[in-house]
Amino acid sequence: MVATLRQVMRPAVLVLLAVAVVPTVAGLSAAVVLGLDGQALQRVIATPGVGMSIASSVWSGLVATLVSLFLAHLAVALAMAGDWQGRLARLTLPLLAMPHLAVGIGLALVLAPSGLLMRLLSPWATGFELPPDWLTVRDPAGLSLIAGLVIKETCFLILALTAALAQVPATRLLSQARTLGYSPLRGWLLAVAPLLQRRIRLPVAAVAVFGMTNVELAIPLGPDLPPTFSVLLWRWFIDPDPAMHAQAYAGTLVLFAVSLLAIAGIAALGRLAGTLGERSAASGARWTGERPWRRLARAVLLSFWLLGLLAVVAILLRSAAGTWRFPSVLPTGDLLAAWRDVLPIAGGVAGTTLILAVATAIVGVALTLPAAEACHEGPLTRRAVGAWLFLPLLVPQMTFLFGVSVLLARLRIDGTFVAVLWSHLIFALPYLWALLAPARAALDPRYVRVARTLGATPSSAWWRVTAPMLARPTLLAFALAFSVSIALYLPTLFAGAGRIATSATEAAGAAGSGSLRLAAVHAILLALAPLIAFAGAYGAGGVIGRHRQGLSP
Amino acid sequence: MQAGFAAPGRRRMLTGIAYSLVALAMTVLAASAAAADGRSAAWQQVLREAAGQTVYFNAWGGDLAINRYIAWAGERLRAEHDVELRHVKVTDIAEAVTRIIAERKAGRDEDGSVDLLWINGENFAALRRAELLYGPWTSTPPNAALVDWQGNPTTRIDMTLPTEGFELPWGTAALTFFYDNERLADGPAGPAALLHWIERHPGRFSYPQPPTFLGSAFLKQMLLVLVEDRERLSQPVADDFDAVTRPLWDWLDRAHPAMWRGGRLFPQSGPAQRELLAMGELDWMLSYNPAEASRAIRQGELHESISGLHFAGGALANSHFLAIPYNATARAGAMVAANFLLSPAAQLRKADVRHWGDPTVLDLDLLDRDMRRRFESLRNDEAMPGPASSYLPEPHPAWTTALEDEWWRRYVR
Repeated sequence: MVATLRQVMRPAVLVLLAVAVVPTVAGLSAAVVLGLDGQALQRVIATPGVGMSIASSVWSGLVATLVSLFLAHLAVALAMAGDWQGRLARLTLPLLAMPHLAVGIGLALVLAPSGLLMRLLSPWATGFELPPDWLTVRDPAGLSLIAGLVIKETCFLILALTAALAQVPATRLLSQARTLGYSPLRGWLLAVAPLLQRRIRLPVAAVAVFGMTNVELAIPLGPDLPPTFSVLLWRWFIDPDPAMHAQAYAGTLVLFAVSLLAIAGIAALGRLAGTLGERSAASGARWTGERPWRRLARAVLLSFWLLGLLAVVAILLRSAAGTWRFPSVLPTGDLLAAWRDVLPIAGGVAGTTLILAVATAIVGVALTLPAAEACHEGPLTRRAVGAWLFLPLLVPQMTFLFGVSVLLARLRIDGTFVAVLWSHLIFALPYLWALLAPARAALDPRYVRVARTLGATPSSAWWRVTAPMLARPTLLAFALAFSVSIALYLPTLFAGAGRIATSATEAAGAAGSGSLRLAAVHAILLALAPLIAFAGAYGAGGVIGRHRQGLSP
Repeated sequence: MQAGFAAPGRRRMLTGIAYSLVALAMTVLAASAAAADGRSAAWQQVLREAAGQTVYFNAWGGDLAINRYIAWAGERLRAEHDVELRHVKVTDIAEAVTRIIAERKAGRDEDGSVDLLWINGENFAALRRAELLYGPWTSTPPNAALVDWQGNPTTRIDMTLPTEGFELPWGTAALTFFYDNERLADGPAGPAALLHWIERHPGRFSYPQPPTFLGSAFLKQMLLVLVEDRERLSQPVADDFDAVTRPLWDWLDRAHPAMWRGGRLFPQSGPAQRELLAMGELDWMLSYNPAEASRAIRQGELHESISGLHFAGGALANSHFLAIPYNATARAGAMVAANFLLSPAAQLRKADVRHWGDPTVLDLDLLDRDMRRRFESLRNDEAMPGPASSYLPEPHPAWTTALEDEWWRRYVR
């Protein structure tokens, strides 16, 4: 324990924690102080439709979390049972890298009655010359919002599950189950999935909180009259009447309380599922006829995957389209002219977005690597630091960002590049830590020891031995931090005080006012930049690994 | 003066007249020169102060053409006055109002983040009430003298609230209904005819969701043509709200079930409705700008079969304005920007459907002949309705809020 404490006290770890945790805790405290206002709370409760609004937030968030979790387990189980031949990571990457906003905007363009799907089917199959008057997008039951969340969160949970696989003797357990006569899928779900589930509790909680409190997907896909609670709060926050702000602050506390309850609910559900699983295991059923089920599972997963990719296609089409009357599948008119109109406007914003993302990635990696170095020998410290860094992902963004924006305004650094960069770091660091800390800890310490025996100083041993071995995860971490920054909307909005425009704020603003074409133009960068970053990271990783034997992919 | 041909007595007289005329002219010239000097000295001072300043112009950013227009103004301001105009694109100007209020709360009474606002109505009223606007300043920019203050009362009175020099008119507007003339031959120009059409064509009409700008405008327009005593609306709301607004709710209750998505979902804004019209989901859209459809067609964002109409009972009209927050960092720069935006050249480009198509607030009689001819030659086309039968002033702002609240109370599930 003493050693652990000493490790935490190392400057590198302290700096990392200070950057990430101080604003979170301060913002949260400010939100509580500002939000505890009896009258304002009463007004929140008296708002027409507020119960429905909270209910639709909880409903869409919870259903999406459960469905995503189920699909993620299914996908990993199928992958381990031999489907997709180990291509799972590559299949999920494009959707994982794509920001929620882009998925939301794209999906709205796919699923609407005048969207891409209906156009592909009309009029030859449906007979529709005019789009039908159907509530397919922004439906009251929140189904389109849930679909959007599922597409994104399944990929995120697959990533979390794959990361947890390394800590579980999965292959051994699976082969034991197979030896006992269980089918591959059933064996996996009974023997391995419960072990994995225990290790991804924090990511699941983060998914639930995000699902219930996001505006990125709820703006383009969520219901209205009433909207989800987070969108309602967001509208109050931008209202000119100061009385509404008190209401918004109080509302963020309600949001916080609701998400805490929901996390508790999910934990209870998890225990229930565990019990049911054990009971089902005790039944001894082997499920030997699971082949059709596997086929069904594959079909469901693939259709969500295809929906996600169609969203990108729809974004590209819509951004170029001047007029695009139903039912033509492709837009008409001079497509390049439409692009010429938009590029000068989107271009400057794209520049800011990219600079901010690169800065976030560089500073984030620079903060994380020394801290990972400092605690590579203490698994307990690593986990403690990870939990602290994860805190911002477990609190509704709105709740502590309101507080953070007030603090930034008091410090008079709101609306500066540094403030926005800082807010991006808060959200990038947990992912950087999750990737780099275990990667550093997994390195065999004997390499450095050998280097030291051969006379290398600690720093030259780090640069010449540790650094090359960390190059591949560092590149991936860089791409990850870059993508996180590209996607961030609310942090940019609050910390940027409206002065720092990025593709995310522009896309959300345009989607919020329903200008899907403008939103699509900005969303293109959102969709493509992270993909390019990851492709670059993989490519560069390959180049670095080429002349270093043993650094296999 | 051909004095040589005149008789001596007459010549003397004429010479005298000539001298006195010249003297008079010189006096007038001198006086006006002095006035001009006085003003221009003050203005020169503003110009000097403004040079090198960066003006954060908070303006709605949801329209490509408008964004481009503002970008153009920024280039000109940089070239002519060394003023850097940054367009802070907001979804709703209320966001900027919120920020100013937050800055006031945080004690940031100088170096505010907003220098210039595109504003009117409720938001102006909110900032005035809280005394968060700088002013009166609108007589300082020289181009303010060209505004049609008398002919267009909406330049002085912003939704029944006198501007008192705290905001400078930038453009003027009248609520226009646009429809697809392939789907209906003659637009129904009144509430009864419109309701009839909606009921016969379920799912093809909608309006932007209140409290967005155009959604509230639709409610006000309908109320103005449905209400018994229109005068009542220029006074604040009292306990007769239900009785006064009953015809509006009756109309909406009947129309909603036959509207787009059964009246359970509404386009999120004016541009959203325009996209739905362009995609083929709706046959109608609304705009405050009579040239909106012409401009969209020209830009290839809307098909060509669009016509525009004003209600026979009159069109809701208002102006939109430029204001400077009390804590603006670049006050001089903001004034220089506002003055440029009111210049005949900038207003001409703004009125041109190829760029924006927003009707000017200037009095054309005060412009030189060439400029005036250029304004008049901006051709109207088919998608643009003629002038409205009458321009209905906005109701008292209290009605807007009350209508929005009641709408929300009634139609939220």
